[in-house]
Amino acid sequence: MSARVALRGIGAAAVALFAALAFTPLPNVLYVVLVPPSAPPEPAAAIVVLGAGVDNGVLSESSLRRALGGVALFRRGLAPLLVMLGPGGGTEPSEATVRVRMAEDLSVPATALLADARGRTTRDEARVCWEDLAPRGARRILLVTGSEHMPRAAALFRRAGFDVVEAPVQELSSGTDRPQGRLELARALLRELMARAYYRAAGYL
Amino acid sequence: MAGLSSLAAALVARGRARRSVRSAVGKTLETIGLAVVFLCLNVGLGLGLVLLARAAVHRFLSFYRNDDVTLVVLSVLQALVFQWSREPEPPHDRPR
Repeated sequence: MSARVALRGIGAAAVALFAALAFTPLPNVLYVVLVPPSAPPEPAAAIVVLGAGVDNGVLSESSLRRALGGVALFRRGLAPLLVMLGPGGGTEPSEATVRVRMAEDLSVPATALLADARGRTTRDEARVCWEDLAPRGARRILLVTGSEHMPRAAALFRRAGFDVVEAPVQELSSGTDRPQGRLELARALLRELMARAYYRAAGYL
Repeated sequence: MAGLSSLAAALVARGRARRSVRSAVGKTLETIGLAVVFLCLNVGLGLGLVLLARAAVHRFLSFYRNDDVTLVVLSVLQALVFQWSREPEPPHDRPR
């Protein structure tokens, strides 16, 4: 088989995949298969909000959604402590700091807030959170992160020693019928699948 | 929309086309295939560099740096340049 024919085959497969992902409900179906539904949140000793990115002091959309999800759970009285995670870079404030300031602006008392910017990966976050919360006796946590990220994150926090109550935040519409929305959904799922594969290969899961 | 504009383009090009539609589609698929190959190479290289930086320099870099739409655009540009560089030079464009 010549290189030209092979390239045409790859190109045809790419076009077919693009069409299937953008113009059929394939990403919506994959989302349902890969992201299990979670039970309603229950009371816990702390709410832990995982990082999702900050750029020069501006929270990413996912970060903002997760932080608001954590604040909403706190305002419902489901835990007395709200832990905001997320690293920073250089001289800029960390994601955790920006989120804590936002939570204070949303009337969460400073005494109920904890910021930890040490965790740079989900695995790191589970470890630093254990260091923060185990001495306080807070083992049962409400874990807040994106829906597709939750299975991997919950497994890592359980492995660290926590009793995890899952409180996923919907970061993308799983029922979208817009081609761009479906492509975004497929991209998020692919990213998470690759992360899960890496974590399994590295023995983290 | 894309279907309508394609139809309009086909009407405009009718009679002036130097290639059959079948041949043009094949060439396009070839370029897309090249773009996919470049994308895989770029992402693979990026992941490798992240692992190298983590292991050798002990500096943290996120894998998510490779999840950037600009990488797709750059891969398409690479494929176009590579594809055109394999085509014969038209007589009037040849350097003198």
